[in-house]
Amino acid sequence: MIFEWLHPFLIVTALVLMVIGAVRRVNLWRAGQSDQIDLIAGLMAMPGRYLHDLHDIVERDKYMSKTHAATGGGFVLSAVLIILVHLLGIDSQILAWALMASLALMFVGALFVFKRRLNPPSRISKGPWMRLPKSLLAFACAFFVLTLPAAGVLPEGTGGVLLTLVLTGLIIWGMGELFFGMTWGGPMKHAFAGALHLAFHRRQDRFGAGRSTGLKPVDLSLAHEVGGVLGVAKPTDFKWNQLLGFDACVQCGKCEAVCPAFAAGQPLNPKKLIQDMVVGLAGGTDANYAGSAYPGKDVGNAKGGPNQIITEGLLDPETLWSCTTCRACVEECPMMIEHVDAIVDMRRYLTMEKGQTPNKGAEVLDNIIATDNPNGYAPASRTNWAADQNLPLMRDVKEAEVLFWVSDGAFDMRSQRILRAFVKLMKAANVDFAVLGDEELDCGDVARRLGDDATFQSLATRNLAVLSQYKFSKIVTTDPHAYHCLRNEYNDFGSDALNGVEVLHHTSFLNELVQQGSLKLNSFSGGKVTYHDPCYLGRYNGEYEAPRELLRSMGIEIAEMERSGFRSRCCGGGGGAPVTDIPGERRIADMRMEDVNSTGAELVAVGCQQCTAMLEGVVEPRPQVKDIAEILVDQLAEELH
Amino acid sequence: MTDQNSFDVLRRDPRAERIIRNRLHPLHDTYINTGAGGELTEVRGPSGLLRKNPHNVGFIGPNGIKRIDRLKGNAAASGKGRRSSAAQETLLPLHQVENPDFYVVVVPDMVGGRLTGQDKDVIGQAHKLAVGIEGNGAVLAVCFGQSKEEHFDTAGVDRLLLLDDDSYEGYCPEQRLAALVQVESAYKPPFWLFPDSVNGGSDLGSRLAARIGERPAAQAWQVDNQTSICRGAAGTIDITRTTPRLLLLAEECADQIDETRHEALPVELGAVPTVIAKLQDQGQVAVDPNAISLAEAEFILAAGNGIHNWDQFHTAASILGATEGASRVAVDDGFMPRVRQVGATGTWVTARVYLAVGISGAIQHMQGIGQCDKVIAINTDAGCDMVKRAALSTIGDSQEILNELMTLVQQFRTQQSEGGDQDAA
Amino acid sequence: MQPKQSIAATGNNLKIVSLISVGKHPQSGRVRRADQDSRAVELGMKLLDSGNPTGGDSLVVLHAGDPKEPGLRGYAGMGLNSVQVLELDPAADAVAPLGEYLQQFAPDIVLTGVRAEGGESSGMVPYQLAEKLGWPIVPRVADIISVEAGVAEVLQALPRGQRRSLKIRLPFIASIDSAAQDARQSAYGPASRAMMDIEIVDSSTDQLRENWSEAPAKKRPKRLKVIKAKTAAERFKAATAKSQSEGGKVMQNESAAEQAQAIFDLLLEEGVLR
Ligand SMILES: Cc1cc2nc3c(=O)[nH]c(=O)nc-3n(C[C@H](O)[C@H](O)[C@H](O)COP(=O)(O)OP(=O)(O)OC[C@H]3O[C@@H](n4cnc5c(N)ncnc54)[C@H](O)[C@@H]3O)c2cc1C
Ligand code: SF4
Ligand code: SF4
Repeated sequence: MIFEWLHPFLIVTALVLMVIGAVRRVNLWRAGQSDQIDLIAGLMAMPGRYLHDLHDIVERDKYMSKTHAATGGGFVLSAVLIILVHLLGIDSQILAWALMASLALMFVGALFVFKRRLNPPSRISKGPWMRLPKSLLAFACAFFVLTLPAAGVLPEGTGGVLLTLVLTGLIIWGMGELFFGMTWGGPMKHAFAGALHLAFHRRQDRFGAGRSTGLKPVDLSLAHEVGGVLGVAKPTDFKWNQLLGFDACVQCGKCEAVCPAFAAGQPLNPKKLIQDMVVGLAGGTDANYAGSAYPGKDVGNAKGGPNQIITEGLLDPETLWSCTTCRACVEECPMMIEHVDAIVDMRRYLTMEKGQTPNKGAEVLDNIIATDNPNGYAPASRTNWAADQNLPLMRDVKEAEVLFWVSDGAFDMRSQRILRAFVKLMKAANVDFAVLGDEELDCGDVARRLGDDATFQSLATRNLAVLSQYKFSKIVTTDPHAYHCLRNEYNDFGSDALNGVEVLHHTSFLNELVQQGSLKLNSFSGGKVTYHDPCYLGRYNGEYEAPRELLRSMGIEIAEMERSGFRSRCCGGGGGAPVTDIPGERRIADMRMEDVNSTGAELVAVGCQQCTAMLEGVVEPRPQVKDIAEILVDQLAEELH
Repeated sequence: MTDQNSFDVLRRDPRAERIIRNRLHPLHDTYINTGAGGELTEVRGPSGLLRKNPHNVGFIGPNGIKRIDRLKGNAAASGKGRRSSAAQETLLPLHQVENPDFYVVVVPDMVGGRLTGQDKDVIGQAHKLAVGIEGNGAVLAVCFGQSKEEHFDTAGVDRLLLLDDDSYEGYCPEQRLAALVQVESAYKPPFWLFPDSVNGGSDLGSRLAARIGERPAAQAWQVDNQTSICRGAAGTIDITRTTPRLLLLAEECADQIDETRHEALPVELGAVPTVIAKLQDQGQVAVDPNAISLAEAEFILAAGNGIHNWDQFHTAASILGATEGASRVAVDDGFMPRVRQVGATGTWVTARVYLAVGISGAIQHMQGIGQCDKVIAINTDAGCDMVKRAALSTIGDSQEILNELMTLVQQFRTQQSEGGDQDAA
Repeated sequence: MQPKQSIAATGNNLKIVSLISVGKHPQSGRVRRADQDSRAVELGMKLLDSGNPTGGDSLVVLHAGDPKEPGLRGYAGMGLNSVQVLELDPAADAVAPLGEYLQQFAPDIVLTGVRAEGGESSGMVPYQLAEKLGWPIVPRVADIISVEAGVAEVLQALPRGQRRSLKIRLPFIASIDSAAQDARQSAYGPASRAMMDIEIVDSSTDQLRENWSEAPAKKRPKRLKVIKAKTAAERFKAATAKSQSEGGKVMQNESAAEQAQAIFDLLLEEGVLR
């Protein structure tokens, strides 16, 4: 073959450029803040994480998982073999055949990618991503032909100048995309960054079917440092592995497809947000972004750099405030990117440094600070709702089997109905319980999601101090937000008040009681029922079964919504979104009610007072909305004690 | 107050009188408790003298609140054989103070040239204080600007200093202060009383206090000659202190004068020096009711999902002179701007009257109107929560009722402008 | 109506002082930045922002009392670099040292709240300062529209959302009404970082106050509405009208005209038709 030296030279060039690119890219990430990660262990665990954790998510889309396995697996194998065969020149027919086989595998995979891209759904990005399947095909074809002689299929030196030129062109294209592009910002970057992201993920607990949903606390000592910044102002304020995570995005748009704010026409698209973070960490504009925009905003105007304030040019703060922190995006993301962490990090800067929590946000925070509840009610009126309930107070009894965490629902007339129902059920089951009364404070959920971690930490430490005075083995609440805070976020404050304490949502607890036979229920006969999974119960805490089992125990056959379980669509009530209330084209709750309507249900069961409020805020006529505790209490079989 | 019923024919009910006299009569309690008419609370005794039953003054009104009835049960009696006479002005006894030994000075707000309710409370307070001082005291009202008040006498003004020349017109606290300083040196009053109000009383009172070096009792609501109880710390505490010379009095600090007439004799003040004002009143700024921020508005016409004719709604608001509000649905549907939203995620309003048209009364909306005095509902659904909250609800189509209401208000407006200056309130 | 005009940038080199006190939340009684005082700071910051772009204007936020008082941090969080504190015993009289400070500092505009949220809350401080300094005072200011040639144009808040325009000669004191622009949010970072510029001053204790007693506010009974009508007919009308509005009257079967009449009567009675 003429130009014998040419192809090895090209391969070497591509590889060298790839390494240079990799170093540069790594340096971009290293501009972020340090984070405690065991690098070696991470790297060792990486292949396993790819095969299990990541694959489990991709596997939800069978077509794509097979396609990716073929293409990706084929490529990795081919790359190794290419180096062996074509660069190191190891003359082995077996290797050559293996290479051809892996290239064929890759080729087939790429064909399926190509096919999917013929009529792409709106969620996936176009632009360079449309080129990728063709690049893959070119790469596979070129090296296939190039390997034919080595496999002994064709004699050495077959083909003329023309074929060589064509092959060379294809090789340059293919390697340009797959090697050079991998570290210089092409679509294949996802493979490089994605692999490292799996190794150095900020939430190592997520792997091995684990769950890690609690937000990380802000180091408040920065507040006293001149030049200190609370939260994330510039891309370099992120932890380095967060930056790495952004780079792993494949722009598949799975997050966009499930984002309730995006669907409601609010100016948020989690995919675009991650891509804007990439623009920020690398510097530049979003002009090359080829996916859906933030609803109501044009693409091309965003500019940023590693040391530029994100909300001044790169992102409109409204984008950040539209998020309900429902975690649907995180749940769906095949690259296990943490959108919510990033969003809250940036909100922290806006709230704690700039004082720019929009709309009612500032007022709600002021109220929480001054009265420990979001509406500014007199703290001493927290137990007014229970004036007729005769609830034992922890202050008096000091010890109880169950501590009932009442939550701020205590101040809200609608939520009080849920609280009363739950109390009645506990009394019916003779549960030994007590409440904190006026000693209970807001759990801090809203403050934290609105970016005011200082207030959250203050509430958490004060609540923990109260809790540590009493003895109880379970803490049960009807509010999934409080549940999440108590269970997942109160551990960071060095208190042992919750050590050995089981934190439970009331549906889990009631389910235990029902299964034990402590609660006798009549069967329900009130028409068709569906169940709405609250984000903070389901995705945040993995409790999908207990509420369903409870409903079934009343003989209810749940008419499931299409989006239920881990795919449940948010009611719009989380993350302080009702408070910041960023306008969109419709209300998230209205869309959820449409989901309910499409099941034909007359009653939607929920397990959260916030969901109840949101869904009842939909104008009538609409199905009834009831907390499971309320449904149960109506079916309580009256027993003589 | 002895001559007030002299025109009425007094019909006696001998049986009732007997029962009332006989405490052991089985019906005694019913007669006493119903307080049925003047004959019963004021009974002619065996000697022919009028006997008063002090425990049975007043009657229970239709709303269950006890009413003090100073007219001895005309109302109740009207159904009991007494022909109610035509409207008559009663002539209250005249309270005269000749050659007063001292003057308690009141500086009323005179909003729109008339005494306000609070002004009258303060005058009532002035009399209470005057009684507590030895000697013959008169209550002197110092009134600035054009007066339209015709009832200084029944409000309790013994002496009236009317300063109504041009230099006191408009907002001119410096000039008014100069006059008060003159009063101070001319009368040396033992007490200075101001309404603690946003209508000028607090301002003027504070100015005088600072000028003459008095530490006033502000937001005083229970005052006698020795001690005053004042609201402090933004209304959250009561401060008990010795009564100072200068008082800024809260609303309803004392009962108004209602049983006497007073002379309201004009007095003169020596020439007051003209002050070179550093403050210049540029006049009131024309404020479109609809531009008033919701939080400040006193009368809100609010629209919800039950409004189907938006042009009519806006017209109604402008005819009624109301500030527009809206439910979230009306805002979401694009009929009203977001700043007009009332409720949890909108504005918390404090309007005196909140007229809710086609609003169902969702809990988040109700949060926003918790502090409204009077809620009126127009709604097709008598069972909705807004109707439960409202003082007055009209069940029917909003468009029809608004139409009728607009007609009424327009009629009222034309009458008003024809009849010249009538007090609407 | 809130006028949007900006302050004419005429190179006034304005010296503005906003006086702040420690607020008290009406529900919890917890220490906070006082509502009106923070509006005074807000207005001061607005004057600064819209004033001379070359930065000749200055704003000093001044407190007399305990510099360690956490309530002051709430003001700092609005984005102040420092808070000037005249350190004195909180029970001492603050007017004298404030007056001396202002006399020396000679600001053009002094902004305060109308009434403090704690203590006597008589609203006398601005008046006493004005008297002491011989400056004019405008109470209940909603906004300062312009400052030109030594004269400021201010909008005074009147009841029911009305406004009065006033011209006032510098220097002056203005107490800021609750109708003024809301104070911007207080942010934790700047609140924690701001400096307390402390000057220790002497002041006599407030002796008068030592003899006062304080108790939580008692609920005042609403005055019984005594019927003032002079005739039976009027009184009867008053009585029936009363029962209508208090009981939550529902008119279901009446004609629209009758219903409108009832609404009209209530509006008239409440005095909102003007
Ligand atoms: C987190 C959250 C925050 C919210 N915040 C707010 C808020 O701040 N403010 C707010 O208002 N809402 C708020 N909402 C929405 C609230 O729950 C209700 O959806 C909303 O207030 C309903 O508005 P509405 O009464 O106008 O509409 P509807 O509930 O549809 O009521 C319309 C009413 O009009 C009546 N009607 C219909 N036709 C006529 C007619 N021809 N004449 C007379 N009456 C008629 C009907 O009987 C009905 O009572 C919030 C909801 C949530 C979940
Ligand atoms: S963030 Fe995740 S889900 Fe969203 S586009 Fe990127 S890879 Fe896909
Ligand atoms: S958390 Fe929910 S609302 Fe926020 S970006 Fe993700 S999907 Fe959208």
